[in-house]
Amino acid sequence: MRVRDGFMLREIAGSWIVVPIGERVVEFNGLICLSESGAFLWKSLESGVENEEGLVKALTMEYDVDEETAVSDTREFLATIIKSGLVETEYEMGTA
Amino acid sequence: MKWGQLSALLGMKSMKQHIPLIGEFELTGRCNLGCKMCYMSHKIDDSKVLYKEPSAKEWIELAREARDMGMLFILLTGGEVFARSDFREIYTEISMMGLTTTIYSNGTLITPQIASWLGSRPPSQIEITLYGASQESYEKICGNGDGFHRALRGIDLLLDQGVNLQIRTTVVKDNIHEFEKMKEIAGIRGIKLGVVNYVSPRRDHLGKNYDEMRLSPKELVDLEEIHSAAQAHQVNLSEPLSEDSLNIHKELLEIGFQEDDPFPCSCGKNTFWVTWDGRMVPCSIMNKPEAYPFEEGFLSAWESLIRQCSQIPKCKECSACDLKEYCMTCPARLMNETGSYEVPASYLCQCAKERKEREGKNYENLHKTNN
Repeated sequence: MRVRDGFMLREIAGSWIVVPIGERVVEFNGLICLSESGAFLWKSLESGVENEEGLVKALTMEYDVDEETAVSDTREFLATIIKSGLVETEYEMGTA
Repeated sequence: MKWGQLSALLGMKSMKQHIPLIGEFELTGRCNLGCKMCYMSHKIDDSKVLYKEPSAKEWIELAREARDMGMLFILLTGGEVFARSDFREIYTEISMMGLTTTIYSNGTLITPQIASWLGSRPPSQIEITLYGASQESYEKICGNGDGFHRALRGIDLLLDQGVNLQIRTTVVKDNIHEFEKMKEIAGIRGIKLGVVNYVSPRRDHLGKNYDEMRLSPKELVDLEEIHSAAQAHQVNLSEPLSEDSLNIHKELLEIGFQEDDPFPCSCGKNTFWVTWDGRMVPCSIMNKPEAYPFEEGFLSAWESLIRQCSQIPKCKECSACDLKEYCMTCPARLMNETGSYEVPASYLCQCAKERKEREGKNYENLHKTNN
């Protein structure tokens, strides 16, 4: 999976906000607030991590967190951004 | 986190840290309408004004600087923004900066071409101001009767493109008789009518007799009652405020609005306004204090504005007044009404008195009904 074009992650006053830009506002007119670890996972997706397994690995390497918690946090993050249409899944990318 | 909570959280944190979260860019001072109650506009072909307006490149760079300092919400307004031939260039660049954009317009210059490109990369919201519900009212108020039909056409063109649009009106003596009609115009399009009821004297203090055109205190409070009653029916009472949001609002009050703060708003804390001639001021109706972002850079101007706002005196008489909870006084209004931050404004005092008396009468009526 990968982050769709047309979204920008910004840190404002200590909060992490995903903002749609340009044409993306047609389908997503709003803002998404991410936790610090959510922002880290977002940046991991932007830098090329493609799946849940990779994200969990990145999270456990970055933070002092056990694998069970990392899986839970990653799934919660993915559920939020998939539901909001912020990422393209493998199926949508035509590689499944 | 819901939108209201996120917005309140960001508002609270940005006020505490003096982050310029909200930027309002008055891209032009020129307008194709000449509304007699307008606080500042100039003729659309005024070459002296055009000469003083910053270029598209300068506005874009300023937006980028403000964005890098934490601006998230941007308002593009005028004058009439579509009077600028390079508005599309400014808007297109700003739409890629990671900002939530609102546009204010009178709607009369919207063409099918403009609606089409705006619909392809829409702002978060566009607010169109209606000045009446007839050609006659537009002629009387704006000096342009044709503006009425053009505004409706603009609204419908934008709605056809799926742009998130709101309609609002500035209510004055010459259009108050059409208030219900304006509500209908909005209602049949599935939109609530927003209302601006207070008309400020011009921020540049150029003389006009505002009491001839704006609502009397009694008319203004009548309108508030009608409008707030209509709004109350639209509140979703099934959704209680969460404990989080209650805490946020409590903290907002503690942080943003301290006892010695003259501003009952976000001025001088997380909001700035840049005028068409390139000055940074606290809000749309304030001419001073001012800073110069195009000359000294955004950061320096923002810091200067915060410092100057903190030095504005609070009106002692207003602070001690029994009517203060009924009053819409603020430094900007006091200055424009009286020429001083420290002198109570008769118009605002009368409005507050009218609200208090009305509340008393409503209470008596309710008491009689219940008994």
